[in-house]
Amino acid sequence: MNDTQPAAYISVQHMSYRYPDGTQALRDIDLKIDRGEFIALIGQNGSGKTTLSKCLNGLYKPSRGAVIVDGLDTRSTSIVQMVRRVGYVFQNPDHQLFSANVWDEIAYGPRNIQLPADEVRARVEEAAAIVGLTSDDYEEHPFFLTKGMRQRVAIASILALQPHAIIVDEPTTGQDIPQSLEIMNFLQRLHDEQGHIIIIVTHDMPIVARYAKRVVAMGQGQVLADGPTAEVFANTPALAQTFVEPPQITQLAQRAAHLGFDPRTLSVDELVQQYLALHDR
Amino acid sequence: MPPIVEIQNYTWRYLHADVPALQDINLTIEEGSFVGVIGPNGSGKTTLAYSLNGLIPGQYHGIKEGTVKIAGTEVESYRPGELPQMVGVVFSDPEAQFTAMTVEDELVFGMENLGLSIPEIRERLEWVTDLTQLKPLLEKPPYEISGGQKQRVALAAVLAMMPRVMVLDEPTSMLDPVSRKRVFDVLARLKRESHNTIIVIEHNLENLVPLADRMILLHNSRMALSDGTEAFFRQVDTLTEAGVYPPGGIAFFHALMKHGAFAGELPLTLDAAVARLEGLMSHE
Amino acid sequence: MNKTLLGYVPDRSPIYAIHPFVKLFFLLVVSLFPLFIAAPEWNFGLIIFVLLLMWYSRINMGIMRIYVPVAISMASIIFLAYVILGGYHPEYAQIGQLLAIRVYWERIRDAIVVYFRILPMIVMMVFFLNTSRERDVIVAMRTLRIPFVITYVFAMALRSAGMVIEDFGIVRQAEQARGFDTHGKSLPYRLRKYVMYMIPLFALSLRRAEEFSNALIARGFAFTGPASKIKRADFILTHYHFRRLDALLTAIIGLAFVALLVLRYGFGWFTLSRSVFLPWLETLLRHR
Repeated sequence: MNDTQPAAYISVQHMSYRYPDGTQALRDIDLKIDRGEFIALIGQNGSGKTTLSKCLNGLYKPSRGAVIVDGLDTRSTSIVQMVRRVGYVFQNPDHQLFSANVWDEIAYGPRNIQLPADEVRARVEEAAAIVGLTSDDYEEHPFFLTKGMRQRVAIASILALQPHAIIVDEPTTGQDIPQSLEIMNFLQRLHDEQGHIIIIVTHDMPIVARYAKRVVAMGQGQVLADGPTAEVFANTPALAQTFVEPPQITQLAQRAAHLGFDPRTLSVDELVQQYLALHDR
Repeated sequence: MPPIVEIQNYTWRYLHADVPALQDINLTIEEGSFVGVIGPNGSGKTTLAYSLNGLIPGQYHGIKEGTVKIAGTEVESYRPGELPQMVGVVFSDPEAQFTAMTVEDELVFGMENLGLSIPEIRERLEWVTDLTQLKPLLEKPPYEISGGQKQRVALAAVLAMMPRVMVLDEPTSMLDPVSRKRVFDVLARLKRESHNTIIVIEHNLENLVPLADRMILLHNSRMALSDGTEAFFRQVDTLTEAGVYPPGGIAFFHALMKHGAFAGELPLTLDAAVARLEGLMSHE
Repeated sequence: MNKTLLGYVPDRSPIYAIHPFVKLFFLLVVSLFPLFIAAPEWNFGLIIFVLLLMWYSRINMGIMRIYVPVAISMASIIFLAYVILGGYHPEYAQIGQLLAIRVYWERIRDAIVVYFRILPMIVMMVFFLNTSRERDVIVAMRTLRIPFVITYVFAMALRSAGMVIEDFGIVRQAEQARGFDTHGKSLPYRLRKYVMYMIPLFALSLRRAEEFSNALIARGFAFTGPASKIKRADFILTHYHFRRLDALLTAIIGLAFVALLVLRYGFGWFTLSRSVFLPWLETLLRHR
């Protein structure tokens, strides 16, 4: 324990959350998220992963324990302060499109936090540029855009608030593979080039294997595994409790471990290399 | 006996669209087969599904060329309410398909529409709830069950009408992996126990590939590929170009094929992949 | 305690043994009683009667707490409306002064009469909603032979209401996630901003509407043509049997209504002039 260790950006301390109707959703969660991490939050429906993600940005306040973000306690900090630190992109863009045109949509956040007009304009243009929208798109009505475009507008709307951490709920559900890769590559750029913390809440294991550096696996309201991706996928007993299976390539490697393959394999290329290496002997 | 589905030179363009959603589709499906339809978003898969049960051109405006025949009769020649008895469709959104206030009412709705009698309804209800394991949920309202359970209800509700063809349009895209598996378990059981023709449109190939006898690739509104499943997945280049990523096991053996290290049959399940790998390794 | 779209229904209750039609019949017919009863003590008695029924049905009486503010604000509004805007006849007796307004006994009397006519109707509605699951309402409607389309539209409205409520919760959270905060803001501001909820809710409803109607058609439902005229089996009704008890209760309710009419118009019961409570109250207020 040393005092020179920088404090985690998000620190969850003995946190429990109970729904208004009494069900216990989260039990005694401890979690530290540092600047610049890329995390996947996985678990079955009902495991508490969505609830936990909403506790991280103050949408839900803990019943017990605390969530400290950038030194601020979510229970006593206003929502306006919180969203400037942790952004949340909902799964269905239709739930979060409020305006009649793209410009106003992206400006909605900055206006809510009372920024001056020229600051708002600067932020909207910047956010739009990052997601690949051009000035031709500003006048479009969000309802009539394709699903992919709507998702990009939703992300830009959160980026305009310039949070350090961005939580994305199910970025790839309902998308085909090229679209999923596009959105994930984009999130990766945000992480690599701009240093944002990226947290994805997802079921898509191949995507987790490819992009996430750290995996937090949840089950029955608790964290059952937390560590680097390959390690968590290799932790079969813990994963079994989450009812989540690793991607097929990893399962193949695990079942072929007795033949000399590495059970921590995350990609096809890795496994192929191992095969060729084993055959060169 | 004509094939159950016979599509010839079919082109469909939605009104106000610049390009057709489907072009020059020629497709014949024999009764009792299990067909998977894949392709990128926007390639026409949903349009194809809707064309099979008459939603197109019944509910949507557009220009149709060519013919779409179910059991030898053109789709447009069926009278209202007749075609759904032949072709059942399960849609991708579990919420929007659930129109009644309890699971049982939902299952019974379609049967009542067909004019079945109470004993007949009771019998089919028994069969369908057993097949889909929905018995404990019969009295529950929609807000007390999960998305995955709702999809099983949708599946059961359509099955209860006993259509000869079942079309499922991305039935598991909004579900978590466990619910996904359960839906495919029902499909597997259906394949074993009945004579339905099953057509599944999916992105998630892991669960689909072990069940499909045949696979179809739609790309840019055309049928880019149509073949038995194993032969289908050998067409690596066509698949990659269309943005199709086969399941990990198949992709691995593809790569081995590229390196010249493998020349056998592609494994369609994880078990088969493990077996093949063990076989390869033991040939040292 | 089970939460339905309509209220909180008890897990077990003697009321579930009664056919839903009887419950609906009770609501519709007994709600008419106050229209023929002017004397407030009788209507008050009716309220007590329904409250006892609620207690007997194992409804959680704590839910009545939710309605207390409603009852109080309604009383205030009715009272003020009548005192300020009530009718006037020369024989009206003034019993006091409220700032510049003369307070007449007759106006107060009218306010009390109206209030005690409305309250039983509300209590009966609460009783109905808290003992009926959505399915009961639908069964009651089908038993009444209401056309299927209407019943189904009603069921779909309930279903849609459920979905909209869920969406509403998510939209609220999405707004918060964009820094939307109504803490410490004025009421007009809040009302203006609440209009924003409509946009995503509409968008979602529009998208669902298309899928909904496709689903209906895929289940063989036809609005026109020969397929729409087939005789429906009404399978839902097989769960409910109209027993002798149900017939008896229906008869009792019907006869009670007839008896009410006979007593009111034949013998002048329940009128203002026969009231015991009102003269006592009048004496109290006029001769302080």
